[in-house]
Amino acid sequence: MKLFKKMRGELSCDDVMEVLQSYLDGETDADTARKVASHLDDCTDCDLESSVYQNIRVSLSVNKAPIDPVVLDSLRHFGERVSRGEID
Amino acid sequence: MTRPESEAEESDASAEAASAASTEAFNRYVLPELEVLYRTARSLTRNATDAEDLVQDTLLRAYRAIDRFDGRYPKAWLLTIMRNANINRARKKKPDLLDDPELTFERSVEFAETSGPEEIVTDPMFDASVIDAFDALSNDFRQVVELVDLNGLAYQEAADILGVPVGTVMSRLHRARRRIRDHLGEHGLDSEANLPRGSTMKDVVVGSAS
Ligand SMILES: [Zn+2]
Repeated sequence: MKLFKKMRGELSCDDVMEVLQSYLDGETDADTARKVASHLDDCTDCDLESSVYQNIRVSLSVNKAPIDPVVLDSLRHFGERVSRGEID
Repeated sequence: MTRPESEAEESDASAEAASAASTEAFNRYVLPELEVLYRTARSLTRNATDAEDLVQDTLLRAYRAIDRFDGRYPKAWLLTIMRNANINRARKKKPDLLDDPELTFERSVEFAETSGPEEIVTDPMFDASVIDAFDALSNDFRQVVELVDLNGLAYQEAADILGVPVGTVMSRLHRARRRIRDHLGEHGLDSEANLPRGSTMKDVVVGSAS
């Protein structure tokens, strides 16, 4: 399998850096995605870079994504009951 | 006769007065911080259900401790309570994790037991740096990050909404994220050890990768 990929041309680190964000967004074609995935398996540097971008995305969604008002309401309701000593 | 300051004792007038004071203090100091608590809980647990549980646990602990709170820095006080609640939660969870892959196990043990300053600080520092860099983006840049990363749109969908070519979306988005990434680098937060969600996220890659 690896040899097969090799024959089809492995990507260099520069190639990977160029398409990494698109790859992580699922915006590359399947062939490129396969090559990037295979490179990331073998290359620690690019893999770390990939992790950094993924962590950025998670961090943004945790901190900046809109909060579900239903969840916040139910927590507020819970807090009000705690406040009245109804739950402990 | 002296009574223990226990919230279980609420049968007489002084206990009722104490409870009214607790209610008032709780409403003043705790409830306004609810959104911060929930966001922080999501960041700590990385899971919506666990986050709700953690907030509830924190609220209960805060209520029990509110008569000893001096009213200064409520947010810091609450986040400390949440941190302890979360460490406790991780400890309780530990036995279940024995069946899980090593990495998860190690991470959770590390979090529960050695979560001294660094382990606690890493998350907020990484997140704070990302937020700083995000907030500093120009409108055009921030907009595409919002559409793609926060609302989950594909490049083409974002392009349609903005009425710009898909190449424009891609270039703005990639440059915007690159700035966030560089900002992390400038603060030394781009090493393996500083990634709050670890580097074991290969499975979450979306789309055509599979
Ligand atoms: Zn590489």
